Amino acid sequence: MIDQTWAERAAGSKLECEVNGKAVSAEITPSTRLLSVIREDLGLTGTKRSCEIGRCGACMVLVDGKPVNSCLTMAYQCSGKKITTIEGLAGEEMLHPVQQSFLEEGGYQCGYCTPGMIISVAAMLAENPKPSMEQIEEHMSGNLCRCTGYGGILRSIERAIERGGQSDDRG
Amino acid sequence: MLNRASSGSRWRERPDGRGKVTGELAYLTDRYAEGSLIGRILRSPHPFARIKSIDTEAAKAVPGVLAVLTHEDVPGVNRFGIVIQDQPVLCEDVVRYVGDAVAAVAAETDEAAERALGLIRVEYEVYETISSPEEALRPDGRKLHPDGNVLKHIQYSKGDVEEAFGRCAHIVEQTYKTPRQMHVYMETEGGLFVPEPDGRLTVYSPTQHGLKDRVQIANILAVPEENIRVLSSPIGGSFGGKDELNVQPYGALLAQRTGRPVRIHNSRAESVRAGIKRHPMTIRMKTGIDSAGRILAHKVSVLADTGAYATLGGEVLTNALENSLGCYVYENLEIEGKSVFTNNGVSGEFRGFGANQAIFALEGQMDRLAELSGIDPWKLRGINLRKENDPGAYGQEIYPTDGARQVWRAVLASSLKQEESRNRQDVIPDKPWIKTGYGSAIAMMGTGLGKGIPDPGGGRISLAPDGQIEVAFSYEEFGQGLLAALELMLIEHFGLFEEDLRLVIGDTDRVPESGSSTAARTTTMMWLALGKLVPEFKGKLFDAARERARLPSGQLTLGQGGIRLEDGTPVCTFAELAASGEPIVCEMSTAFPESPNGDFANRFLFVQAGTAVRVEVNELTGRVRLLDQYHAVAGGPVANPQGFLGQIEGASGMALGFTLTENAVMKDGRYAFGNLDAYLIPTIVDQSKSMRVEAIEEVPEGDPYGPRGIGEIGSVTLAPAIAQAIWNATGVRVSELPVDPALLQKSPQYLQEAVQPK
Repeated sequence: MIDQTWAERAAGSKLECEVNGKAVSAEITPSTRLLSVIREDLGLTGTKRSCEIGRCGACMVLVDGKPVNSCLTMAYQCSGKKITTIEGLAGEEMLHPVQQSFLEEGGYQCGYCTPGMIISVAAMLAENPKPSMEQIEEHMSGNLCRCTGYGGILRSIERAIERGGQSDDRG
Repeated sequence: MLNRASSGSRWRERPDGRGKVTGELAYLTDRYAEGSLIGRILRSPHPFARIKSIDTEAAKAVPGVLAVLTHEDVPGVNRFGIVIQDQPVLCEDVVRYVGDAVAAVAAETDEAAERALGLIRVEYEVYETISSPEEALRPDGRKLHPDGNVLKHIQYSKGDVEEAFGRCAHIVEQTYKTPRQMHVYMETEGGLFVPEPDGRLTVYSPTQHGLKDRVQIANILAVPEENIRVLSSPIGGSFGGKDELNVQPYGALLAQRTGRPVRIHNSRAESVRAGIKRHPMTIRMKTGIDSAGRILAHKVSVLADTGAYATLGGEVLTNALENSLGCYVYENLEIEGKSVFTNNGVSGEFRGFGANQAIFALEGQMDRLAELSGIDPWKLRGINLRKENDPGAYGQEIYPTDGARQVWRAVLASSLKQEESRNRQDVIPDKPWIKTGYGSAIAMMGTGLGKGIPDPGGGRISLAPDGQIEVAFSYEEFGQGLLAALELMLIEHFGLFEEDLRLVIGDTDRVPESGSSTAARTTTMMWLALGKLVPEFKGKLFDAARERARLPSGQLTLGQGGIRLEDGTPVCTFAELAASGEPIVCEMSTAFPESPNGDFANRFLFVQAGTAVRVEVNELTGRVRLLDQYHAVAGGPVANPQGFLGQIEGASGMALGFTLTENAVMKDGRYAFGNLDAYLIPTIVDQSKSMRVEAIEEVPEGDPYGPRGIGEIGSVTLAPAIAQAIWNATGVRVSELPVDPALLQKSPQYLQEAVQPK
């Protein structure tokens, strides 16, 4: 049964969620994507726009700790969720251990895929602190990098695994 | 081997690293200005057509639309192009590819802009698409440009090729084909265009040479160059793809017309449709050797699909031909090449710049000749390698280099080559369809733009009012690590301190002309400029310090934060010095070193690479996996080890895609894909195996040129090495890229037995 007119359904609603530990509310329509809320409404441009079809991973964020492509996530799906973007990954004083590993090993070049890449690695290690190469390959195959040939990224992942969730950098 | 451990304290955190891992670094497509409009571009739906009429009335009437521009609204030159300005900003009479721009819209919202695009009515008379260089060369074919369909034709010969072929013991004649590769910078083209209260226009948009963009934009807008400021770094990847103008003319025109800031950020689909690609080439080679393996004759013919407009198509062809000779010596030579206009997008600058295609062909010839003659392929190369003081490929004088022999020896000594010589075969008993093989290749690439093309350099070093030492170049940071190399160079070689430095790039208001960030030229140019600037700058600082402290002439040194006496006693801080007198500025301009002779845009300063690989071929699926790779690179002293390693690894990744999966397929002038779901670049899975990089730093004694650019050489040797490894594994010769899996699929006897029992 149709209980709403088209106009009612297409009209805006309010998204209430938490982004990087802060309560956020944004005007959205049913077709608003999480990516545009993050970049356009909140001005958190660390989350990048690249393929917009969920192939490249540049727009990855954590939704309740799980990595998602924010280009494929509808904003309304995030109601009441806890969202972490690259800007919210580091602690007050320290970089996240994965960020620190990327910095030390040079796991980036142009840096455009890096926020999504780091989010993806952080999510992987949160779930499995000692992944095998097969598990790394599987987990990371949705994050494309065109600069590094993945060499620096693999060394950064290795370093982050060794570090075991510890960061000693006071960023 | 080059790695973090072997680099010691030279392995450093990049100056732009923290902003990149925290997401705080704002790219130019991340910028926003209050009241920004959305800019969008209407592109041609046809690969080739005549425009009969354009009606923008309905589009202009859409609420929220502030401007709809056509060719009639371009106040200045309605053309652009780095070398030849033949590409219309907004087409007036003819469209020549599906990315050609016909109108541009600025609106308050994306929705309004989208609606307006849909309401612009353009009537076309559709022409038959010219979808290959062969079609374009037909005498009765339609001309894309007034001068015809040949952008550039090059011919060069020496000796008597035909006579020499008559003396050859073995001759290989083969045609090679290479794909239209897409750059796939993760950040698509875009930017922000802001009209300033003082009447100037600020352009925030990636490019590889901000000052060059400024000239082109000024010509289009019909305003003086000084009225435009281009901010062009940081950049989310370029690889040559953002050197030519892309969205800048439209953003600038719309901002000029509306008086409001305009943002443009291409979708991936629009980037695919409008962006330049690597030239597809058909390369025919005929090469002959005597019974001892010496090359007696070499004949090359290149046909390049340059697409609709010139951009750097002519220069790419020149470089392809130069590289079709590699690092070998020839007595009899005949080379010829044509770069031809078609309706297939636009081909232009891309890392390797024509060498990737040429080296795939040339090294393929060497491997085929080795098979034919029974001479070991690496030994055959060794027999024909150039020597330290040999001239360049066209007989031009080049700076002496023994790099070819150095990388050849390094590859020979590599563990992969040793493994190959022991003929190790990984046979997996229960998977007999998996075959492994070895291959290797060598290349030599010129750096700089080559003789005859303006190739400026230069820089500025100054003491800023706050006491920071500002070092300024007109270069761009697109990920290659230019800032890191510059910083390390200033610290290690020129004795400055990280804390005192402010590196200034990517802002036409603040940098002197140092030329473009292309052609593996910037590292050398910075080195050469600083070699002159820093001693002069230090001299000025010391003079000013002496005057200020009323010291007699005597030795001073530069310490962290200020000037000191030789024993370390502080004389004054940089801030005090900056506050006390005349500004201290040193600026110079120079040019990239070029050959004193030669007929073409040939190079003077060269780098070399040798690559060995082991691959696995699955004969059931036809898929190839790269299992191990070794690269020896002779590029002089390593400017920045992390950057050097990253450049070779990254270039190899790009070459892997070129070899195995990447092809921007076009059918009748239209792309057969629109995004990264159907255009496959390598993932972490394809590149998680072993890779080693060895830097050979030896240069001739008294060498003045320092570190050479190695940003491109890493992308040229992998394809032929993999092709040879595939042959080694399966006996199948590959002459067309990307490798077609169907070519490698076999239907083995045991499978037939399994389905058809006797």
